[in-house]
Amino acid sequence: MADYLSISDSERKEMLNFLGITDVDDLYADVPMALRRKKFALAEGKSQQEVYNAFKELAARNATYRSIFRGAGSYNHYIPSAVKSLASREEFLTAYTPYQPELSQGILQATFEFQTMMCNLTGMDVATASHYSGATAAAEACVMCAGAAKKVVTFANVNPDTLETVRTYLEARGIALEVLPALDGFAFLPDEGTGADAVYIESPNYYGILEDTETVIASAHAQGAKVIVGGNPLALALFKSPGELGADVAVGDAQPFGIPMSFGGPYLGYMAAKKEFMRKLPGRIVGETADAEGRRAFVLTLQTREQHIRREKATSNICSNQAHCALTAAVYLSLLGPEGLKETAIKCASNAHYLAAALAGVGAKLFYEREFFHEFVTITPYKASAIAAALEKKGILGGLPLDEHRILWCCTECVGKADMDEVVKTVEETL
Amino acid sequence: MKTVFEKSVKGRCGVMPAALDVERYDFDADRLRDGLVLPELSEPEVAAHYTALSKRTFGVDDGFYPLGSCTMKYNPKLNEEIAALPGFRDAHPLARADKMQGSLAVIDTLSAYLAGITGMDAVSLQPCAGAHGEFTAMLMVHAYHRSRGDEGRTKVLIPDSAHGTNPASAAMAGFEVVTLASAPDGSIDLADLRLKVGEDTAALMLTNPSTLGKFEKHVLEVADIVHEAGGLMYYDGANLNAVMGVVRPGDMGFDLVHLNLHKTFSAPHGGGGPGAGPVCCKAELAAFLPDPQVVRDKKGFRFGRSDWSVGRVSAFYGNFGVCLKALAYIVTLGGKGLRAAAETAVLNANYLREKISYFYPVGEGRCMHEFVLSMRKLRDETGVTALDVAKGLIDRGIHPPTMYFPLIVEDALMFEPTETASKETLDAAAAALKEIVDLAYTDPAALHSAPHNTPVGRPDEAGAARNPVVKG
Repeated sequence: MADYLSISDSERKEMLNFLGITDVDDLYADVPMALRRKKFALAEGKSQQEVYNAFKELAARNATYRSIFRGAGSYNHYIPSAVKSLASREEFLTAYTPYQPELSQGILQATFEFQTMMCNLTGMDVATASHYSGATAAAEACVMCAGAAKKVVTFANVNPDTLETVRTYLEARGIALEVLPALDGFAFLPDEGTGADAVYIESPNYYGILEDTETVIASAHAQGAKVIVGGNPLALALFKSPGELGADVAVGDAQPFGIPMSFGGPYLGYMAAKKEFMRKLPGRIVGETADAEGRRAFVLTLQTREQHIRREKATSNICSNQAHCALTAAVYLSLLGPEGLKETAIKCASNAHYLAAALAGVGAKLFYEREFFHEFVTITPYKASAIAAALEKKGILGGLPLDEHRILWCCTECVGKADMDEVVKTVEETL
Repeated sequence: MKTVFEKSVKGRCGVMPAALDVERYDFDADRLRDGLVLPELSEPEVAAHYTALSKRTFGVDDGFYPLGSCTMKYNPKLNEEIAALPGFRDAHPLARADKMQGSLAVIDTLSAYLAGITGMDAVSLQPCAGAHGEFTAMLMVHAYHRSRGDEGRTKVLIPDSAHGTNPASAAMAGFEVVTLASAPDGSIDLADLRLKVGEDTAALMLTNPSTLGKFEKHVLEVADIVHEAGGLMYYDGANLNAVMGVVRPGDMGFDLVHLNLHKTFSAPHGGGGPGAGPVCCKAELAAFLPDPQVVRDKKGFRFGRSDWSVGRVSAFYGNFGVCLKALAYIVTLGGKGLRAAAETAVLNANYLREKISYFYPVGEGRCMHEFVLSMRKLRDETGVTALDVAKGLIDRGIHPPTMYFPLIVEDALMFEPTETASKETLDAAAAALKEIVDLAYTDPAALHSAPHNTPVGRPDEAGAARNPVVKG
């Protein structure tokens, strides 16, 4: 057994002597005896070697795939070795929240740089240090934007986990959530009568479709509603940013930026907003300042929004966030730069458009005739699970069956033409 | 130090994707953005930048880190390697459950261990941090009372010594917060509790040991009072490290618990996250846990849903990778190891406190895994504040304790050495603190201007908030 303790038996005795006691139990004198006598049944400890082997066996009980065509909120991208190596440096990995700025300039500066990257990608003025996931970032943004009407509107084509999370957060605060049907996979906001404080829209949406965000924003603003735009941040390497299109807040999950799929977490929720929201935002924000000698310094700032100062009046309860994921994303974005990121996005989109066309050629037609980024939906009546099973047999994780007929596919830069041709062949055989 | 943007040189690039082997797809030009400003650097430059930043960051391997309430214990390297095993790291969360039995077994096994450690019956690993767990538990409290037609329970009782996340989480879940006074020793003032508890009480949120590092002696009486009034007892697991394996929240009368896997169960803090904040509860509350839950049937593990669930609180299944590290820790230590960790944490804290008592008043009695010093005497006699002492410790290679918390202690410094600190480390910390106290009486100015050995001195925080510069 490894216990990671640094006190030897003789030191323990010496320390107990120093305290004038003989047994460590004496230190628990305040715990009622009736409670201390309870049994505590848990297995014996194990050596590190045994533990490693046991987990290797557990890991082997998960299927591994030669190629992955599933996204829907979790994306299989190539992660450069330098990202893993630099992010895993002990100082970054094991430090606490940077409450002592003099000892934490590294993590503070990295977070400040991450905030800057997210502002640049989203076209916004201020970004938070991170949120638990894209789902909670969307939920907290909806809470932030809710006002007198106590109503938020969204669409049926947003990510279902995000939708459920938004609903949970809003219901708790007594804020109504109206989910408008998505016509033909596309969000449509009526020109009047919405009566909402805020509208949440995703582009690309759950089906990968690029929305007409600009029109929705104009319509929402005309009705006095704020607009929160969600989406995969990789798409922002190519397309006009939410800020440029007039959105008030941008949210999403930056997992595609160098963070492994890891069975759904930890991921990286981000939130960026126009300047007017700076003092309303939930969660930590790093700012630049100087020390007494005028040297540049970074600190946690605008803390009067936060729970440790404002308690029940805080803008959020968030304390621990996903700081290390934000650092990882910052390293990833620094390595790829604008060109590397853009080429990655183009490769994903080019692969997806090749696959969509090839699948249509064998009878798996696009369900929504709309422009998409790197995810799309096909229709194959009553064949969705048969296709998934046939691919599974070949060691391929196919698109996500949405029901018996529709499959949501995703292509990243990790798949090549040969992988896609194999998928097409398998689908053709199944149909 | 220059930012990564200031080091950028147009045209440089670290990593490009492999070349396309299908036709390049071009989107309509009117969808496209004009430009994008991100750093342009070679890989060696990126490596140099982040290595330099890491050297301006203090981790648990860099020195003593007695940050109270944060349980900065050693983070085992083994657990990092386990979380990076390809079978876990590359697992897609929406692959079929029958193909992901390893991951589901991890969720199920960790849940069972945490239930055993806390004396609870059911667990959700979905909450991503301690505060997220608090929020989830408060949603469950709300759903529980509503399911019984008990709609009038709108208030949550919280001691004035509690972490700020407690009242913030209760408010986010739609409750009104009622603050309970503490007795001078930091325990709950029972008279104040009896006065404030009633038909409108939904729950009491309690940290035990308290944020003053004292075990709440009257916890069974507190639980009886709250239960008799129809309220639920909620355990904030921030301080479980003192008592794991010794006493279980479930036996103390608690109905719901959140744990911090990144504190008690050795997962690293990552400079502020990710953590994991599982919620454990008694059987009668299990139906209200977040969806989905792992269930086991004849064919193996699968995901199930409950009609009574509070719903989702995040995407997928929470911070799975962090949960994996916590499970590796529990399996390594076993029951005895966990108990030994708690006992050693308490021993280390008492040892350090006793050492300090030779030159500075530390208060009455013993402490649990952490203790709070009031620097008021030092401040009144020398003008040296808790902040000055903290910064003085930085110059002596020690990460400062938590400052100015709990709010009920003037000029508070909260020390939590944890069980992984060695005796020499504790001795050195006591010596450093003595040096600082002595210095306060001879040369207080040297402490007002500390730290001196860091890349920057005390930053102008007021200025940062007044004129925020939040991007480069």
